[in-house]
Amino acid sequence: MDTLLRAEKLTKHYGPVVALESAQFDVVEGVTGLLGSNGAGKSTAIKLFLGLISPTSGSMQVLGVESSESLEVRSRLGYMPEHDCLPNNVTAAEFLTHMAQVSGLPPSQARSRAADTLRHVGLFEERYRPIGGYSTGMKQRVKLAQALVHDPALILLDEPTAGLDPGGREEMLDLVRKTHAEFGISLMLSSHLMGDVERTCDRIVVLEDGRVVQQGEVTGFTEELETIFIEVEERRAELLEALKRLGVEASDEDGAVIVPEAGTDTYELISKALVEAQAPLRRLGPRRHALSEIFEDTNGLSAPPFAAAGDPE
Amino acid sequence: MTSFPGAQPESGTSAREGRVFDLGYRTYEGPREGRNRARLAVYIDGLRIALGLGRGGRAKILPWLFVAVAIGIGLIFALIAGAVDRVAGAGAAEAADLPSHADYYTGAGVLLFLFAAVVGPELLCPDRHNGVINLYLVRPITSVDYVAARFLAFLTVMLVVAWLPQIVLLAGLAFGAPQPGDYLTDNWTDIPKFLGAGAALAVYTTSMGLAVAAFTTRRGYASVGLVGLFIITQFAAGIIGEEVEGATGEWLSLISLSDIPMHINELIFETDDSLGGGFAAGNLPTGVRIGAFFAFTAAPILVLWYRYRSLTV
Repeated sequence: MDTLLRAEKLTKHYGPVVALESAQFDVVEGVTGLLGSNGAGKSTAIKLFLGLISPTSGSMQVLGVESSESLEVRSRLGYMPEHDCLPNNVTAAEFLTHMAQVSGLPPSQARSRAADTLRHVGLFEERYRPIGGYSTGMKQRVKLAQALVHDPALILLDEPTAGLDPGGREEMLDLVRKTHAEFGISLMLSSHLMGDVERTCDRIVVLEDGRVVQQGEVTGFTEELETIFIEVEERRAELLEALKRLGVEASDEDGAVIVPEAGTDTYELISKALVEAQAPLRRLGPRRHALSEIFEDTNGLSAPPFAAAGDPE
Repeated sequence: MTSFPGAQPESGTSAREGRVFDLGYRTYEGPREGRNRARLAVYIDGLRIALGLGRGGRAKILPWLFVAVAIGIGLIFALIAGAVDRVAGAGAAEAADLPSHADYYTGAGVLLFLFAAVVGPELLCPDRHNGVINLYLVRPITSVDYVAARFLAFLTVMLVVAWLPQIVLLAGLAFGAPQPGDYLTDNWTDIPKFLGAGAALAVYTTSMGLAVAAFTTRRGYASVGLVGLFIITQFAAGIIGEEVEGATGEWLSLISLSDIPMHINELIFETDDSLGGGFAAGNLPTGVRIGAFFAFTAAPILVLWYRYRSLTV
C-alpha cells in the first residue's frame, strides 16, 4: 500500500509554544483519523502537510514528494478547512468550476467536474443558487466538494463535523466514507470526537500535546481486546466459578457475566464452563470496546481529553 | 442525456429526453495544467469580480454605472465640440480651446479614483473576509501569484475604463469634423498621448486601490480609507502650497495623492493648467514629477507584495 503522507520527527514550535514535537507517522490509503483535543497539534500537522507553514525541524513527504515546497503536488491534494471558506454571492456551480481551474484543470473539464462533484455531495438541484443562501449543512458539502472537485489522491479535512447538528454530522461522516469507498480517494480527517473517528476511520493517529501517543488500525484497537458478555437464565455464580477454574478472568456486571480481553480460544473455554456449571444460556456475544474505553482502561489515560460522540460533556 | 449500457439507473429521476443514468464517480485522467492555469483562472476571476459578472444584479450596478458615466463624459465633450462647430462654423471648437483629450482625466479622473476605491477592494477583501483565500493557498499557486493575477486583472479593467471614454471622444470628434479622415491625420498624436496618460492613471489607481485593500478584510473600510486619503492629502497639499513658500512648499505639496497621475497627464499633453494653475508641485522639474509618479506607484505595489508574501492561514 502506498504511503501518502509521512511525517519524520516533524516538529513545529511557535516561539515557546510547542505545536508538534517529533511527530512520526505514516498515512496510507484509506481513511485516517487524526484524533486529539484542541491544541493537540492536529491543525498544525495538516497545515505542515499542505505546505502552508514550514516545520521547525524534521521533514515530511507528501504523495512521495520530499518537502512541502513543491507547488505541483498540491494539484493532487484536497483540503477542507475547519472555518468558513466560501463566498456568498457566487453559485456553487460557478465557485467549484473556478476552484477546479485553480487546481489546474482546463475550463471545460472544470465545468463538468464541478457538476459531477455537486451531484456526488447531493447539491445538484441547488447548484445554481448563490452559496450565501445555503444552510450550514449544505455549505459543509460545498466545502467538501471543493476539496474533491479536482479528483485529488488525498483529502485533508480539518474538523469536518465541527458546528453540525447530529443529523448533519451523520451525513458528513457518510460522505467521508462514501468518498473513500466509492470514489477511491483517501482521506485524513482531524477530530476531537472519538465517536466520529471510530465510525469513519480505518486507522487513527492520536495526538496529545503535540506528540503522537497512539497509532494503528481502528479495528485492531477494538478487536484485539474483545469483551464477551454472557447472559444466563440462572446459576450465574456457578458459571463464574467454572470460568475461574478454567483460568478465564470474568466478572459479574449488571446481571451478566463479562469476560474481558478475550482471545480466540476463549469461546471454547466459555462453552466448557457453561456445560460444567449447567447454566441455561440466554445470550452470548462479543462486545467491541469503544475507543474511549481503551483509552481509559489500557493506556492509563485516566481522564481522556477527548469526549466520545454523544457525551453531554 | 446520454445513456450508457450497463450503468445503474438513478432512482427517482425522470427526464423528458430519456432516462438519467448515474455514471458513478469518474476519476479525472485529463490534463493538469498546474500553476499557469491557476494564475489564469485567478486573473479571469478578477475580471469577472470587477465587472460583477456571474454575481447577480447588484454586483453589476456600481461598475457599470461608473463605466457608463465615464463614457458619458467623453460623449458630452464630443457633443459640445460638435455643437460649437455647427453653430460657429468649422474649426471654431479647436479655436475656442474646448475640453478635449488633455482635459478628460482632469475632469473625469475623480471618477476613476472612485472606481478604484469602490471596485478595487472587491478583488481582494472578500476572499480574506470569507476565508476563500485559504482555498487558494492550498492549491498550486503562491500567495504572490494570486495577488499578482488579481492586480493584473484590475489593471486590465482600469485600462479599459480609462481608455474607452477617450476612444469614444476621439470617435465623436472625428465624426463631428467635416472630414473625419483629415481630423485623424491632423490629430493622430492624441492617440498615443491619451493611451499613455490613461495607462499612467490606471496603473497608479490600481496599485493604490489594491494596496489599501490589503489592510482590511472589509471592502467598505478600504473604499472609505482610500477616498479619505485622496481628500486629506489634496486638502493638505493645497494648504501647504499656499502657506509654505518656495521649493519646500512645492516638494511638500507632492503628497497630494490624487494629483500624482495628473503630473504625467500634464507632461504628456504639455499643458500646465490641468491642475488648476495654483498647484505648487506643478512647478517642480519634470524629472522630479516623473520620479514622484513612479515612486508613488511602486510603493503601494511593494506594500501589496509584502502583505501577501507573508500571508498565512
